[in-house]
Formats: sequence, C-alpha cells, structure tokens
Amino acid sequence: MKIFATLARGSLIAYTALFFAFIYIPLALIAVYSFNANPVNMMTWTGFTTEWYAQVLGFKTTISENALYLESTSQLVEALWNSLIIATSTTAISTVLGSAMAIALYRFDFFGRRFYRVVMFMPMLMPDIVLGIALLIFFVNSGINLGLTTIIIGQCTFLISYVFIVVTARLAGMDRTLEHASADLGANEWTTFRKVVFPQLLPGIVGGALLAFIISMDDLVITYFIAGVDVTTLPMFIFAMLRRGIKPEINAIAVMMLTFSFVIASLGLYLRSRQK
Amino acid sequence: MRDSIVRLEKAAKAFATPEGQTVTALDAIDLDVKRNEFLTLLGPSGCGKTTLLQAISGFVQLDAGRILIDDEDITDRPPYRRPVNTVFQNYALFPHMTVGENTGYALEVAGVARAERTRRVADALRMVGLEGMEGRKPRQLSGGQQQRVALARAIIARPKLLLLDEPLSALDKNLRQSMQIELKTLQHELGISFIFVTHDQEEALTMSDRVAVLSGGRIQQLDTPRAIYDQPKNSFVATFVGASNLFEGEATRGQLVTKDGIAISHGRPDATGAATALIRPEQFFLAQPGDTAPSLDVDLEQIVFVGSTFELFGRTATGRRVIAEIPAVRRSLVGEIEQSRRARLAYDPAAVHLLPGEAA
Amino acid sequence: MSSIAFRRRAQLAILLGPVSLFLAVFFLGPLAIMIVTSFLAPGLYGGVEWTWYPHNYGRILGFADPMFEDFDPVYIAIFLRSLKIAALTVVATLFVCYPAAFCISRLSDRWKNFCLFLITLPFFTSLIVRLFIWVLILRQTGLVNEVLLGTGVIARPLELIYTDGAIILGMVYVFIPFMFMPVYASVEKLDWTLVRASLDLGAGPIRTFLRIILPLTAPGIAGGAVIVFIPALGNFVVPAILGGAKVMMLGNLIEQQFLAARNWPFGSALAMMVMTVMLVLLFIHVVVSGRRGFDPATGH
Ligand SMILES: Nc1ncnc2c1ncn2[C@@H]1O[C@H](COP(=O)(O)OP(=O)(O)OP(=O)(O)O)[C@@H](O)[C@H]1O
Ligand SMILES: [Mg+2]
Repeated sequence: MKIFATLARGSLIAYTALFFAFIYIPLALIAVYSFNANPVNMMTWTGFTTEWYAQVLGFKTTISENALYLESTSQLVEALWNSLIIATSTTAISTVLGSAMAIALYRFDFFGRRFYRVVMFMPMLMPDIVLGIALLIFFVNSGINLGLTTIIIGQCTFLISYVFIVVTARLAGMDRTLEHASADLGANEWTTFRKVVFPQLLPGIVGGALLAFIISMDDLVITYFIAGVDVTTLPMFIFAMLRRGIKPEINAIAVMMLTFSFVIASLGLYLRSRQK
Repeated sequence: MRDSIVRLEKAAKAFATPEGQTVTALDAIDLDVKRNEFLTLLGPSGCGKTTLLQAISGFVQLDAGRILIDDEDITDRPPYRRPVNTVFQNYALFPHMTVGENTGYALEVAGVARAERTRRVADALRMVGLEGMEGRKPRQLSGGQQQRVALARAIIARPKLLLLDEPLSALDKNLRQSMQIELKTLQHELGISFIFVTHDQEEALTMSDRVAVLSGGRIQQLDTPRAIYDQPKNSFVATFVGASNLFEGEATRGQLVTKDGIAISHGRPDATGAATALIRPEQFFLAQPGDTAPSLDVDLEQIVFVGSTFELFGRTATGRRVIAEIPAVRRSLVGEIEQSRRARLAYDPAAVHLLPGEAA
Repeated sequence: MSSIAFRRRAQLAILLGPVSLFLAVFFLGPLAIMIVTSFLAPGLYGGVEWTWYPHNYGRILGFADPMFEDFDPVYIAIFLRSLKIAALTVVATLFVCYPAAFCISRLSDRWKNFCLFLITLPFFTSLIVRLFIWVLILRQTGLVNEVLLGTGVIARPLELIYTDGAIILGMVYVFIPFMFMPVYASVEKLDWTLVRASLDLGAGPIRTFLRIILPLTAPGIAGGAVIVFIPALGNFVVPAILGGAKVMMLGNLIEQQFLAARNWPFGSALAMMVMTVMLVLLFIHVVVSGRRGFDPATGH
C-alpha cells in the first residue's frame, strides 16, 4: 500500500512537472532561437546573433533585404503607438464604467439587477468573433467611420465586463458591517464611501484596470473586424506578418512582447499578493 | 424623566421572510434606559436582541413607535446623526487603517483637529490598556486586543449610549471574564449608559444593573438581576434564567396542589387560583429524620458530581422530574442516598416563589 | 424618508446611467442588428438587401435557397467539425489540467501560490505570440521535424501543422488557464476527510475516485468545460495560424463571409449558430448547477 501511495504521488509530481514544461518550454525555445543567426531555417542553430533585435529596434544591420519583413521600424512603432493609445483610452473608460456598475449592483437592490449581471457576463463568454462582426455590422450601418474610435468603443464593450468582475469580486469580499461601523461613528454616506469603501476597493479597481490594459493590448479578433483599413494595432501587425510567412525578426518582436507582458503581469500579481 | 437617557415607545418591527411569512422581531417594545445604567438584553437566539440594538443605532427602521434620546425624537435620523455608538460583534475594525486611525475615526469625520485627535486617541487607547499601539494594523492584534480597539473606537466621541452586541462571544473563557470586569469598570469611569447583548445568563446576571429578558420580540421582564432570578414574572423567565422546578396547580391558603396531587407549601397565604410554584434546585436540602420542613419524596435517577455541588435528578411517585443541588460538603449524606436511590427533598416554604397562572 | 429614497435613486442613476446607455447602444444594439441581418438577403456586390430571407439558416443545414443552390452539406460539415474540435479541446485540456490541479492543491501555500502564478502568467502574454511558437515547432522545417530528421527517426518530414491535431494542440495551449482555474477551485475545496472516510469504509482508490472525488469536483469540471468549449467553438485565430487554409472552422468561415465573400447575412446566421450553442450550453449549465445552488454571477 505504502509503495503504491509513493508511486502515485511520484507520478503525479512528474506529471505536474511535465505540465509546466509544456507551458514554458515553448516560451523558452523562442527566447533562445531569437538569437539564432540562421536567416532561413529558424530552428536550425547556426550561430549567435543579436542582429534581429537590432533590426527591429531600427539599428543598421547586415541582414539582406529579402530576409526581412519590415521596410522600416516605423511601421512597427506606429502599430505599437496605436495599441498604446487604444489601451490607455479603453482602460480609462472601462475602468470608470465597469467599477460604477459593480458598485451600483453591490449597493442597490433594484428591479433588473439579475438581468444586469447576466448581461455583464455575456461579452466574456461570447466568442470574440461574434462580438466582432456584430460591431462591424453596427458601425457600418450607423455610418461611423472605422478607425481608432470604433476600436476603442468596441473594446470597451467587453473590457467593462472584465473590470466589473474583478471589482465585484473585491466587493464581495468586503465586510458590510464596516460600513455600519463607519455610519455608527458619525460618517455620512459619502464620507463612508471615501474613507472606508473606496480604499478597500482600490486594489480591485487597479487590478481591473491592469487587466483591461493587458487584454486591450492583446486583443486581435474584435479589433481585426472593426479596425478599418487605416489603423493597425500591434497584434494585427504580427498576425499579418505571420500570414505572409515567417521570418526571424518576428522572434525578436515576440520575445520583446513576452518580456514586456511578463514584467507587467508579474508586477500586477505581486502588488496584489502584497495587498492581501 | 431627566433620569432616562433612551426611551423606546411602542417600538415595532417585523421582517418578511423569504418563505413569505412575517417574523415579529420587535413587538411594541417599551423600554427606558437610565443614565449611567448597565442594561443587559438577554434572550434566546432570534428573539430580537440585535434588531432592538440596530433600531437604536439606526440600522433598522421601525415599522411603528418612537425612539427618544434625551427626550429628543431620533426615530427618523440616519445612524451617523445619532449620539450612539456600537461595539460590533465581529469588531468591524477597518482593515486598511491603523489602530490609531480606527480609534480616531469618529473624531476625524466630526472634523476634530489632528492634534486634539492624537491626544484623545492616546487617551482612549490608554483606557483600554493599549497605549502605544496606534501604528499597528488590526490584523497584527490578538482577538482580545481587537476587542479593545473596537471599544476605544466606540467610546472616543463620548456617545450618550454605547451598544454592545455580544462583544465577548468570540473570546475564550478567561479573557472573557477579565473583559467583563474591565467593561464594568470602564462604564463606571465614563458614566455612559451601556446596552449589552448576551445570551449567556451568568454574564447578564454578574454585569448588569438591570436585565431585560426578551422572547418573541417582547420584553418578558425588566428588573435587577436578583429580582429576575428570585422573582421571575413568568415561567419563561424562570426557566430561561437558571434551572428551575415548576409546579403548576391550584393555590389555596398556604398550599398549592398540582393535578397529580403533589402539595407544595408556600409563604403566601393570600394567594388563590391557578398558579405555578418555583423552587430553584439549590433551595432543596436533604431532610434529616425528624425534620419538620415540607418535603418531596423522589426516586433518584442520577447523581452528578460537578465539583462544588452534587446535582440530583429525581422523579416523584407520579413521574414528575425534579432537580436538586446539594452542596458538596454534604458528602456523607449523599453517600447514604446513593445506596437507597431515594431521597426526601426538603425546602423552606418562605423561599418558594409563586408565579401567576399556568406554566406554559 | 422620501428624500432618502430620492437620493438613493439619484445615486443609482449616476452610477448606472452612463454604463447602461453605453452597453445598450454599443453591445445590445450590435447584437440586435446582427440578428436582424441574419434574416436579410445578401446584396449582389456585398451589402444587404432589406427583405425577409430565412435561407441563410437553410444554407447552413445544406438546404439553401432552392432557386440558386442544391443540397450541399459543406457548411454543416464545417459546423460539426468545429463542434468536434471544440469538444476534443475540452477533453484534452481537462486531461492536462486535472492531475496537475490535484498535485498543486496538495502543496504548501508558498508553492501553491507560485504555481498558480506560473499558470496565470501566460494568460497575460500575447496570444498570437504563443500560437506563433507552435508554428515554429510544428511546421515542416520546424523543431520537431528537424530533430526527428536529424536523428534519423524519420526520412521525410511529418505533416504536423495544418491538421486538426495542431489546432487542438494550439487551443489546449492557450486555454489551459481557463480550465485550470475552475477545476483547481473545486479540487482545492475538496474535503480530504471524505476521501479518507470512503477508503475507511472499504472503497478502493478507483471507486473512491469515481464515487467521491469526481462527483465533488464535477462543478469545477463543468465550469471549465463551458468556458473552454464556447471560445474554442468560435475561434478563428488558432485555425488561421495552425490550420492554414486546409482546416476550416466556423470562425474562419465567418471571417470569410465578412472580409472575403462579403455575404454578411450568411456570416451573421453562422454567428447566430455559435451564439445558440453557447446559450444552450449556458442554460444547461445554469439549470444543472442551479440545482446545487450555483450563482452564475459569482461563480459558486
Ligand atoms: N434582515 C432581516 N430579514 C428578515 N428577517 C430578519 C432580519 N433580521 C432579523 N430577522 C429575524 O428577526 C428575528 C430577530 O432577529 P435578531 O437578529 O434580532 O435576533 P437575536 O436576538 O439578535 O438573535 P441572536 O442571539 O441569534 O443574535 C429573527 O427571527 C430573525 O430571523
Ligand atoms: Mg444577534
């Protein structure tokens, strides 16, 4: 019996190790091969180089033209810039609207409250493509020109949900008697909100905003449908590159993006764990 | 009426349950709390104690009736405009604020200047024995310390009335007893009236100036602890506070006869009609041969040693249960009855209390 | 009293007004227009004709507008394949996550948190980058083929990419956190004394697993299955990258209708199919777990 238990335990641990290997080995591979000098076959190691990074970052390199996608780094920078503008605006809007709704549903009991909750869960569950085409049809029919504005509006429709859910989770963990205690000690509703509710809610709101920002930066499908012809975001840019065939520069871009989001996400999760 | 600080007049509250019924939590309650008084609400779970406190603090809106504080009607005031503070059962300390900030909260929202606030916070914390702990967060405190912070926070603005909803129920027995004494002392020093909720009858009897026994949303009896114990107004109070033997029957000159024919002597020659006699277990003593005191013969079912006393569980010939408490110093006598499994329980007729009417 | 009621109503309006308006116009509005569009006739050169035209749905099932087309089951085949791939994705993801969830739930708090962190971290990184890595691994000149060819295990490169398997692999890779979290939540809650009780009462490990552990963790499995299945069904990025032009799923078909074929009504009808499957699933989920006292809003 004892041997079986040990064996079962051992294989479970081995399985879990494999599980993490499955998640992280591909990420490690790309990081390694992004320094591979081989311009044709990216998975055959021919030597170490940092040229791809240099190329992406706009430095002069010795790479021959036909191994490259980018006519210039400025395209990439423009896509990145668009993504940042969009993510900043959508984060601001969806954080305000999503938090407001979470607070409203927490504080007030009113007719239609359940309906609101269901509606708030729909955009998260709905496949992106459905929302994407619905927005496309809507914008085209209402004569709004596709572009930054439509992307911002479109992303907000589902980012509000994410913020709502994060903030609601935080509210659900809050102790109602604290508000009673505050009122009991002489604070009116507004003061209670400012001094007791909001400070406790803040980590939730920040978390929701961070999540909204990251998801906005990464959104491909919905943006893809409602971006129109003039505007390209970073994920769209990479998607387009991939569809044209794979060249080593993309490794470098991918690794830089991974690093960036790892840093942001680690920071967010770290802050949250410190809050507890 | 300058002597009353809080007055409830016909305060009523009913809740609709999810099952579609209504529960009467407060049934037209009249209550006067005197200045400087330590009043305890005692009653079984669900009898309306918390509701009564919340009506006074403003978290429950009355269906009918009025609440007056210092003769001022505050029935429709929001909680934050009532000169009443509460010590919550789970303390309700603000987790994101330090002990100092928690304690000074009432002053802060009232706009008291920082310097004075700091001073008064230090004073309040000293009163509860937590001097110098201003900088800690609530989660860095033990349960008892949190309890003290909650207390300091509630008294700092000198409310006219302090409400405490089972404040000691989360503490272990020793801490609980020392807090009972501290609370009592504090109340004395501050000169604030306390309304204290508990369902621990011993706590109620030891701490209070007066005890209100509640049941089903009504005050069954409001009296000093002694009166509650010695002269309960009805059988609910008699059974809820302390153990009791009740004999319901017809009272005639000096005697009460139950339906099953047991006669209990009592010291109230004037009483007649339906009544219930109360004999507390400790009023019984073991009759010696030749004793003339009235007594009951019982068959003993169990004898339990609880340290300072023996508890005897017996039945009369007619099958009625009787409990008696015999001081443990009477060891030798108990040894005898343990052999025979029979006992003659004597009592002093003057100590028998008569309740009006039938026992429920 | 009434002034308090009025104030509360005003507060509610301020909090809820703007967001309600926004969602009504930009979320419910588009959905409504999409539903309407799915019943309109496609225009000749893209665009829409405002006439009642239910044949978009008939076409999905193979029975198209009898005036123009014969019975052609190509779309229903794509629909069924999408269902199959999504279902296999759910099963595969579950197999990947369930044992790991058990292992992690038994670790000390420190390690537990660290593992959860490692599992959620990829969710915050670019989806497209994570999929792209698998192209590098699976394609003809990719890592797997290079290694196998180099070591002489195979003579010619295997066809790994642009297959159903590649799509499922890609989906599993990106949906792991979606399955892991709900499964983990229910595994973590599992009361191990019940397992001990079962063993004590004479049930063997397998019986105990089937009769105790599985039923008790079923809510997590069901939750994970729903939130993996739905996005997998309508997914278009994974098949676009790992399925190439060969493997068509509903998502690609919809994309085609909008960006290439320009038959918006048919594309909308396809999207409605996805929505219907989603609503049916959610309905079943809510009804079944509702009996266990599940609140869809809080997730437990
Ligand atoms: N918000 C509410 N909605 C419905 N019923 C309620 C509500 N609050 C209290 N009640 C009911 O009113 C009655 C009195 O409740 P209350 O909380 O005052 O009891 P209590 O004496 O404090 O009990 P305990 O000793 O258990 O704390 C109970 O039957 C309770 O179920
Ligand atoms: Mg209570």
